[in-house]
Amino acid sequence: MVAPRANWKGFIKFGEVACPVALYTAASTSERIAFNTLNRKTGNRVKREFVDTETGDPVERDDQVKGYEIENGQYIILEPDEVAAAVPDSDKTLKIDAFIPCKEVDDVYFDKPYYLAPDKMGTDAFVLLRDGMKKAKVAAIARTVLFRRMRTVLIRPHGKGLIATTLNFDYEVRSSTGAFEELPDLKIQGEMLELAEHIIGTKKGSFDASTFDDRYEAAVAELVKAKIEGRSLPKKKAPVASKPSDLLQALRESAGIGGKTGSKPTAANANKSASRQKATKPAAATKAKRAAATARRAS
Amino acid sequence: MALRPHWKGYLKLSLVTCPVQMMPATSENDKVRFHTLNRETQNRVVSHYVDSVTGKEVKEEDEVKGYQRGENDYVMLEDEELENVALDSTKTIDISIFTPRDGIEWIWLDTPYYLSPNDPVGQEAFSVIRDAMEAQDMVGISRLVIARRERAVMLEPRGKGIVLWTLRYGDEVRDEDTYFAGIGDKSADSDMMPLVQQLIKKQTQHWNPKMVSDPVQDRLLDIIAEKKKALKKPSKAKAKAPASAPPPSNVINIMDALKKSVAAETRAGK
Repeated sequence: MVAPRANWKGFIKFGEVACPVALYTAASTSERIAFNTLNRKTGNRVKREFVDTETGDPVERDDQVKGYEIENGQYIILEPDEVAAAVPDSDKTLKIDAFIPCKEVDDVYFDKPYYLAPDKMGTDAFVLLRDGMKKAKVAAIARTVLFRRMRTVLIRPHGKGLIATTLNFDYEVRSSTGAFEELPDLKIQGEMLELAEHIIGTKKGSFDASTFDDRYEAAVAELVKAKIEGRSLPKKKAPVASKPSDLLQALRESAGIGGKTGSKPTAANANKSASRQKATKPAAATKAKRAAATARRAS
Repeated sequence: MALRPHWKGYLKLSLVTCPVQMMPATSENDKVRFHTLNRETQNRVVSHYVDSVTGKEVKEEDEVKGYQRGENDYVMLEDEELENVALDSTKTIDISIFTPRDGIEWIWLDTPYYLSPNDPVGQEAFSVIRDAMEAQDMVGISRLVIARRERAVMLEPRGKGIVLWTLRYGDEVRDEDTYFAGIGDKSADSDMMPLVQQLIKKQTQHWNPKMVSDPVQDRLLDIIAEKKKALKKPSKAKAKAPASAPPPSNVINIMDALKKSVAAETRAGK
């Protein structure tokens, strides 16, 4: 087998122990359905062109330069070598600054994952760090120059190896507290919570992300086919929100308790076309109903 | 701060449905932003579209999506038409499975969004779903069309809201065996474990967003400030000391290095 190409080679250092390691891309982004942009009037493809806002002349790539706007229309120009000079020299070392308990890791900062593997020479020290972190249930925080930027990575054990995830910078992440601060403090208790927990129980399962299928492309192909044949697909009905006054009843019916069989669901228009998801649902609902019936008989 | 929601739709658990909105958990707003200038004129450079055949500029309202049917053969699709695509996952997050959080490994997490109720009418229903997941220590799994792809998504209660993660596709995550096979089945030397545990314990801290500061952005801002002061003077890049890489530890001296590390941490008075 051909050895995979490393994205970065250097050292990992914890305390006074250093070992040679390499980073490898762990996840890539696959292509989504590609549309081309057309000119509606001619039906021709369009192409992008860069022009000077004042003169309207096309500007070649070499003549394009970065400018930082200081006040209206005034710019400070930064040449590429000046930007590069702002990046510290790389010492090629992922120095572990701290360990943090896995439970405290704020995953919202996660950017891209890389497999972190040792060079042959470094396996002993690598394995020691991996097993030490596993036992202590911690992840490590390290910084180094990666891809021309000083990045912080979170390192954690994964199988036989380690995964280093680049973290987004502080100013790139919105705090969840801020995002949710305007929501009312509603804590649900009692029957409603019990019913919802019961529904969750009926839908418990495992999920293997690797088997997930994207149905969008096929659905668009269907849409295009219909358009070519001069049909139009039926307009979708908007889902109907459950009314607060009906919430308890909707929960009871969902849980299969106290619902009149065959009664109309309060929330109309369930996932009609969902394939796999739908298959699991009736079974779960039936089971819940059966359980409820048994419970009623027993009482 | 009034942020424009990225997506509006419905969250659904069995027969309970509530209107929700979603916004990205990350933002480019506070990043130092550069514009592209024409070096010669120092005017802004903008991109626009031209017709690939006629070479004439195409106005934004004349741009339309084309679905390629064959070579140079496109079917035009308007946004309203695309809305009719026969998938409920364009508008509704219907939670199909609940699974323990540990069941979804971190490597599958792609992009985080914040999900919250979009209308007071749905606040209670939203809270019911959130609190029940929390009480059961479960995350929800569903499907959602985002940016013209149907994604597997994971919903996790967080504070008063829900964090929604898009999950990577199976073919996006590379097989770890290719990279980790060379490590072998060895586990750590049991003599060294107590020392490494000590070192970890001494260096364990609480998470702090300061850990993800960006010194490069700060320096760029400094450079800009300097240039602003002396608009004509060229900035001088500081001479940097050459950095040297540490020598790798070999098998024999790992133990020594560990002892030194622990001793150093102890001296540090922790």
